[in-house]
Amino acid sequence: MKQAKKPRISRCGPQISRRDFIKSSAAVSLAAMTSGRAFAAGSDTMRVGLIGCGGQGTRDVISCLKSSPGVELVAMGDLFKDRLDKSLEKLKTKVPDKLKVTGDTCFVGFDAYKKVIAGGVDMVLIVSPPHFHPEHLRAAIEAGKHVFMEKPAAVDPAGVRSIIASSELAEQKGLSIVAGTQRRHQAHYIEVIKRIHNGDIGEIVAGQCYWNGGDMLGYWKWYEQDSSLYGMQWQLRNWPWFTWLSGDHIVEQHVHNLDIMNWAIGAHPVQVMGMGGRAVRDLGNIFDHFAVEYEYPNGLRIMGMCRQINGCHNRVAERIVGTRGIAHGKGRIEGQNPYKYEGKSPNAYVQEQADLIAGIREAKPINEGRQVAESTMVAIMGRMSAYTGRALKWDWAMNASQLDLSPPKYEFGDLPTPPVATPGKTQLI
Amino acid sequence: MKKKVSKKTNVVSRRDFIKTSAAFSLAALASPTSRIFAAGSDKLRVGLVGCGARGSGAAVDCIRSSDGVEIVALADLFGDRLDKSLARLSRKFDDRVNVTEDTSFLGFDAFKKLIASEVDLVILATPPGFRPEHLKAAIEAGKHVFMEKPAAVDPVGARSIIATSELAKEKGLSIVAGTQQRRQYQYIEIMKRVHNGQIGEVVGGQCYWNWGSQDWHFEQRQPEWSDMEWQIRCWPYFTWLSGDHIVEQHVHNLDIINWAIGSHPVQCLGMGGRQVRTGPEYGNIFDHFTVEYEYPGGVRVMSMASQINGTTERVGERVVGTKGSTYTTRAYGYIEGQNAYKYDGPHISGMVKEHADLIKSIRDGRPINEGRHVAESTLTAIMGRISAYTGRALKWDWVMNASKLDLTPPRYEMGDLPVRPVAVPGKTQLI
Repeated sequence: MKQAKKPRISRCGPQISRRDFIKSSAAVSLAAMTSGRAFAAGSDTMRVGLIGCGGQGTRDVISCLKSSPGVELVAMGDLFKDRLDKSLEKLKTKVPDKLKVTGDTCFVGFDAYKKVIAGGVDMVLIVSPPHFHPEHLRAAIEAGKHVFMEKPAAVDPAGVRSIIASSELAEQKGLSIVAGTQRRHQAHYIEVIKRIHNGDIGEIVAGQCYWNGGDMLGYWKWYEQDSSLYGMQWQLRNWPWFTWLSGDHIVEQHVHNLDIMNWAIGAHPVQVMGMGGRAVRDLGNIFDHFAVEYEYPNGLRIMGMCRQINGCHNRVAERIVGTRGIAHGKGRIEGQNPYKYEGKSPNAYVQEQADLIAGIREAKPINEGRQVAESTMVAIMGRMSAYTGRALKWDWAMNASQLDLSPPKYEFGDLPTPPVATPGKTQLI
Repeated sequence: MKKKVSKKTNVVSRRDFIKTSAAFSLAALASPTSRIFAAGSDKLRVGLVGCGARGSGAAVDCIRSSDGVEIVALADLFGDRLDKSLARLSRKFDDRVNVTEDTSFLGFDAFKKLIASEVDLVILATPPGFRPEHLKAAIEAGKHVFMEKPAAVDPVGARSIIATSELAKEKGLSIVAGTQQRRQYQYIEIMKRVHNGQIGEVVGGQCYWNWGSQDWHFEQRQPEWSDMEWQIRCWPYFTWLSGDHIVEQHVHNLDIINWAIGSHPVQCLGMGGRQVRTGPEYGNIFDHFTVEYEYPGGVRVMSMASQINGTTERVGERVVGTKGSTYTTRAYGYIEGQNAYKYDGPHISGMVKEHADLIKSIRDGRPINEGRHVAESTLTAIMGRISAYTGRALKWDWVMNASKLDLTPPRYEMGDLPVRPVAVPGKTQLI
């Protein structure tokens, strides 16, 4: 860390003087102690820290900085220096006037998140691989920071329980947690769901949701192993393709659609039966397709389907079927009370940040922790059912499952590649 | 063959045989053939094509279903299968089995010989890949048919079944399919209520055939077997023979959904793969499928089928309406909702009843023709398989009218036959 410091300073964008830095930090320390109240006037500067400087982290922090006036990025943390540097370069061109990061506030390593949290910030953006979210959220909330956290919230039931516990702590402390579910902050979803809750489609009796798309290799780079990139560091660089890091694509991606089903129905499922496999993919240990049936209270069954295979039929959508009509997530209702959303839909990435910051400044904290934990659990259950071939009950997964995908220790070096699941053989834990 | 005949306890004399044959030749000349059974007293002579476990079982069901039914001819590709079947049938029904050496046929053209023999009804129970050709030959020859599901393994085959069914209609011949559930009382009662509007408008549904049985009718390849012999003896594991398990097995459940909705689907989107049965000994079929079928009016039904040991089993159908939902299995059936209902009458095996209905229809001169509906249920399953294999969404009209998929091997002979590759979604071509 110390050795790495010097060259990094030169890359650290517009620099604030040490004295300014200390002054602002002091102000923010006060703010942190008063749990968001300092922002009531809407005029104070909000100082944010970024944990996880990959593509999504960089995009999220740009959205955050652009979403509201008076927001500055003051600290960054990542596991890899090159990722942090690359992120900084982009931020310098996109948001130069809001970039207040110094060499002293750029942190690299497994404990970088702790340093960001302790780095004089009011709010942190948690955009590390999903595996780390529970630990990072807990540290942030314990330290009294507001949080933007990317979905999914966790990769296993142990992580989900941790997220829920941290959310409850955030509630007690009056802290905000907004999750990057996007759709919850999009006007056309909000309008359609409002109508569903008003009974416009009658009683919900069926539904489907899909995230069928390509293999994502154009979106995330795959790194081959070599003499320096192996084990832990290799898996971390390739996090989307390892279940312990991403949760598999049903959790990492399809959670968006499953979140809409929970929202529309107003409940989480009671049980699940899923299947899936690897028909094409040979990277990491995740599957490339899942199809899961979720049963909600009162016998309501919905289907979740997701696939990451090139050259197949793509469909990303949610469909909620009621006794009087059918609602489509994209902003349309057909049936007895037809409706079509025709207004504008602001950029969801920006809107969720704007809502979060407004909540903090108005001292009306938004806490989406439990909701995103539950949607994440829906996806995790689906994955566990597909991996094991077993039907599962929510109560068991939530309360009794011991599944914890954490590695024995967090350090670079050897780490066996976990096996691909085999339905009927992979144990339910 | 000799050994087999010697085992037989109820060989008819050659003279008796000729006499009976003559009567039936006349019958065959008269059109419709069924008229001579009007009195319900004449013997019905049945030939079995495909003497495996299901074929032998179907022959037993046929005998049990009605009086005056005799099994008089057997056909199979393999002598050992035919012998075993004959031994089983003779042991169980000494006086109802009258198969001679002359009416035992082996080889790829055995079905032709059996159809040309003095039979009134043929049971088609070979691997499904052969069904369209066998049905066509039987109907053209003026025979009534009981055929096992599924009706075909590809769209070309399904079209052939439909054409043959139309011919059967013209000729007044019966075709009954081994869909089983169509004849079980709980299904009949529940479907009647669905059609009467007891669950309101149908808006969704699910059907499942998830069970273990990963090694269902698996045959270990023997060194002396050619490629063709191995594939046929281990037929469930080769798509060209079985259609894959979504077609071979899950067709039962899809048939119920088509029945409930009163239509075939208009499009589908499926996925699947081979996660456990990965070795070459398991041929080229998948071990799991999930398919979404869309029916007219935007009704989407999810279908799931898997054959993986150690996984949760669920076999049944659920139909969801605006006023309630149904749940049916081979063991029970009920309706939940505004018009709740539970079937609590007797349970029968659909496997015997379907033969009873068929034979009665022949004797009453009121032919039953299930050819089209079993072809449609079969094509429903086939389109789900094609969608899962290719990763593409498909429309019914395209599959029914435009798909050129024909899985028939280049020639039928015991010899080399490379195994077609396992499908790769996104790469396997839509044909």
